[in-house]
This record gives sequence, C-alpha cells and structure tokens, in this order.
Amino acid sequence: MKRIVTICVLFFGCVFSFFMALKLGAIDITGEHVFNALWQYQANDFSQKIVFELRLPRVILAFIAGSGLALAGLILQTVTRNPLADPYLFGISSGASFGVVLLFALTGIQAGLAFSGAAFAGSLLAMTLLLLIAKGRGSAQVEAMLLAGVALSFLFSAFTSLLLYWSDPQAISAILFWNLGSFSRADWQWLWLPSFVVCACMLVMLLLRRSINALLLGDESATTLGVSVEKLRLGMLLLSSLLTAVLVAMCGGVGFVGLMIPHIVRFFVSQATTLGLFATALSGGLLMIWVDVIARVALENQELPIGVITSAIGSVFFLGLLMFRKRSA
Amino acid sequence: MEDAKKSQTKVIEVRDLALKIDDHQILSDINFSIDTGKFVGLIGPNGAGKSSLLRSLYRYTTPTTGEIVFLGKSLCHYSRQDYARQVAVVLQEIPDHFNLSVFDVVAMGVLPHKSLFSAVSLQDKLAVASAIDKVGLSDKTRQPFSYLSGGEKQRVLIARAIVQQPVFLIMDEPTSHLDVKYQIQIMELAKSLNITVLASFHDLNLAGALCDEILVLKEGALVADGKPLDVFNAQLLADVYGVCASVSSVSCPYEGIEQVPHIRYHYGYAL
Repeated sequence: MKRIVTICVLFFGCVFSFFMALKLGAIDITGEHVFNALWQYQANDFSQKIVFELRLPRVILAFIAGSGLALAGLILQTVTRNPLADPYLFGISSGASFGVVLLFALTGIQAGLAFSGAAFAGSLLAMTLLLLIAKGRGSAQVEAMLLAGVALSFLFSAFTSLLLYWSDPQAISAILFWNLGSFSRADWQWLWLPSFVVCACMLVMLLLRRSINALLLGDESATTLGVSVEKLRLGMLLLSSLLTAVLVAMCGGVGFVGLMIPHIVRFFVSQATTLGLFATALSGGLLMIWVDVIARVALENQELPIGVITSAIGSVFFLGLLMFRKRSA
Repeated sequence: MEDAKKSQTKVIEVRDLALKIDDHQILSDINFSIDTGKFVGLIGPNGAGKSSLLRSLYRYTTPTTGEIVFLGKSLCHYSRQDYARQVAVVLQEIPDHFNLSVFDVVAMGVLPHKSLFSAVSLQDKLAVASAIDKVGLSDKTRQPFSYLSGGEKQRVLIARAIVQQPVFLIMDEPTSHLDVKYQIQIMELAKSLNITVLASFHDLNLAGALCDEILVLKEGALVADGKPLDVFNAQLLADVYGVCASVSSVSCPYEGIEQVPHIRYHYGYAL
C-alpha cells in the first residue's frame, strides 16, 4: 500500500511539475499552448516555440541533473557508508572548476562546448587521481577515499584561486556564475549525453542494487555474502564520478542535492528496495525542476543561480527535518 | 576413493595455514578439520588470532601459505558467490545509520542465490519471514535495525545467515557485549540450526557447555584441539590465558552429552 502511494505521488508529482515548469517563466504561457507545443508543435507559434525550444530541454536537463546528482549521492553514501558523502566532497567539482579556469587562463574562452569539455576533463583528472589513491587499499579503502577526496578538493581549489587571482575581474564573475550552476545552457543537441549517462547509471544500480546495499553491512559482511567489495566500490566510484562530471560540465556546480535527496528519501522509503532507488531518482529530478522554476521566476528579468537556491532550500529543509525527527524519536 | 569418502564427513580442513601481515606473523602452522554437523568453539585470549583465522576461513583475508579445503575442494576453486551460497558468517557489529529495516537486513541473505536480473520472489519473502520468525522477531520485521538492542541485532544477523541456507556457519564473537541471557540465547539458536558451526567464544564455560569440540589458539598457533572435557584443564588455562583456575566436571543440560567442564577462576592476582 505504501509502495503504491509513494509511486503515485512521485509519478503525478513529476507530470504536474513538468507541466508547470513549462508554463511558468519570464513569460507565462497558457496551459493550452503548452499542451499544443507538446502534441502538435507548430514552429511559427511564438509561445509554442518558447516551450519547445527553450523550456522543454531545460526542464528535462533539470530533471536529469537532479536525478543524476541524487543517484551519485546515494552511491557515494552507500559505498563509503558515510551519510555525509556527496559528489562534491570528492573533489570532482573542484576539478571541474579547475579545468574551466585553466582553459580560460590559457585561451580566454568563456563559454561553449570547449568550456564544458574543460569542466569534464577537470573532473576526470580529479576522479583518476582519486581512483589511483583508493586502489589497492584493502580495508582502509573508505578512509583513504574520503581523506584523498577532501585533500584533492582543496588542492584544486588552491590552483583555481591562484589562476583566478591572475585573471581579470570580468572573467572571474563569469566563472563564478558558472560555478553556481545554471540550466540555461540546455539545448536539444546535447541533451542526449546526460540523459544517456543517468539512465545507464540507473540501470547499473538496479542490476547491482543488492551488492551495493550489502556494503552497508560493512566490508567483511559484504564479502561473506559473495561481494567483491574493493572492485565494486571502485566501479561505483567511477560511475558516480562520471555522472557528476557530465552533469557539472553541463550545468555547473549544483551543491547539496546529492547529499540531501538520499537522506530525505531514506526517512520514508528503505533504500534496500528497488522503490527506494526510483524514489531517490524521481525526488531529485522533481526538486530540481522546481528549483529551476524558482530560478527563472523569482526575480524579474534576471535568473538566479541554481546552486544558491539548492543550498538555501536544502539547508533549511534539512534542519527542519532533523528537528522534526529529534522530537518524534 | 578413500579420499572422496573422507571429504564427505569433513566440512572444512585447514592444512599448514600461516598468515603474515606486514612482517607480523599472525598465524602459523594451523592444522585442523571440522566434521559435518559439529558445533566447534574457537577460544583464545585477545590478539591470539581468532578473528584472523576466521577471516581466512570466510575469505576476507588470504592466508600467506597453506590450504583450506571446503567440502573436498580447495577454497581457491570456489567463486565468491559459490562460497557464499554454502558458508554464512555472523559478525560482531555492523554499522547502522542507513534506516534499514529488520526485513531489509535479513533479506540480504538471498544475495548469493540471486543473479543480477532476478527479482526477489514471493518464495524469498517467505523464507525471510520464516527466518525472522525463527529468531523470534516477527513483531519487529518493519522496525529500523538501529532501534534494536544488541541481542536482537545479533538475532537478526543469524536470521540473515539462515536465509543464506548455508551448510557451514562461522560466527566471530557473536556474543561479546551481550548479557548472559542473550549469550546463551544466541548460541543455542545457532546450535538449533543443525548445521556445522564454528564460533569464537569469550566465555569459556559457555563454550565448554555448548561445543562438541574446542580449538584453542595462543599467539597464532593452535595449542589444543579436542572435546571440551579433554581440552580444559588448569594447566592449559594457565598457559594460554595466564589465569589460575580449577576445572571440574558437572552434569550437562543437553541430551547426548553427560558431563561438561566447569571452570572456576581464582582471584587475587594483585596481592
């Protein structure tokens, strides 16, 4: 019963949110137009064009990014058995920023494909270093990963700050804005990449969900259940890093979702079930759609950075939930 | 032919096992075997290598030299999953801040029997429910694992082992930190499964009363191996544990065993 309710709430929540996100924005578009844009698209209708060309890819990207970051957070929290683990804790986003800033310092490019490429390359660099450090650590793997992640994060931040220090102020603001996250770069041409990566990752997690969750019992217990712990953990780290790298490259740094969503979902649905996995992905996407809506409509003629909103909503909601739990427990 | 016959009665055989980690000799020259259906206790002071030996048996660590033969086949011929289908392990503590329910933890026991694509079937769910019932926690099935008491947690882990349907159960100090009542309860529960069990013990009297056989480790070497009445004596306790004790024989509550050893420690070392 609880299962059905959860599925229904999330599913209809998503449909409703998609619709509302297409409707709301700088220009409010009527429901009829939104509906027409989806089912009988006419390129010469201005409001349909806005819905189809601008808002739809953006809403999809927001949904995908939210799901992906929530999944990445879930993976990392599970394989490190650390409820505070988050894709950003492992230096992946610092690596991306470093890549972006380095590209800018060398070539002066501030946007476009090369920009995303540089972010991706930076995250890959961070991820590779992390994997090399965590490999072959045996029982100390988790500690090595967490410490190395924090250390790498600071290392890349230091380089980034140094490069920014030498750059001109205009570039700094562009890079800072990028770092706070935005879905404004969404277009149909590149949407397939994050969609593919997130779906593939979801599939892998579905297949390996039992082994991944067995890690929660501890490395030794997982071993006795037939799980190759070290290999699985490295593979999962690779997966979540890829996920984060792709999303950071597309949307910039969007903090807190990866940390927050798995926690919230865990309060309601056990993560050991398939339902828990879907609930995490859907809730992440759902949250991100609304965050993007707020980013678009909160201020007139201006867009708020995504990262600001996620962090603000996230921390308040999180504190509230903690207080509530404390009283009920 | 003789070999094959022999292997059927032995669940596990350990030959010349030695373990060295970073130049520290943890275990050396360990030889023993366990017959089918026996309940075997592993005892020894802290740091004697009990956990290391058990870890080698459940394949968390790989011994430096020597061979472990399980059901007539060397351990290296088993895949991790194959081995997990036959050998279940109950460990002392598990981390618990992920809101897993009792059901979730017990259901992890089906993992070795599942391929990547198979879903949890009704049959699995029934097996999980009956295992939870067997350890007497049916009313707590949906509760978070972290809300349980130490004894209940240990019973949950045993239920998980039951779901694994093993032929051999390894328990590493499953009863430390538990009250006397639960120490007895956990061990009797393990005994009631009627499979071969190897468990490490802290309480020597409990070990003596429940086990068919006792293995004694001291500084990484096996110093005694046999029936509790034969193994426990004042000299051994003085050698291995460095305590002064007297051992008497008392009548036993179990059918099939008449007498068990009873150890009484002497105090006053500080004087």
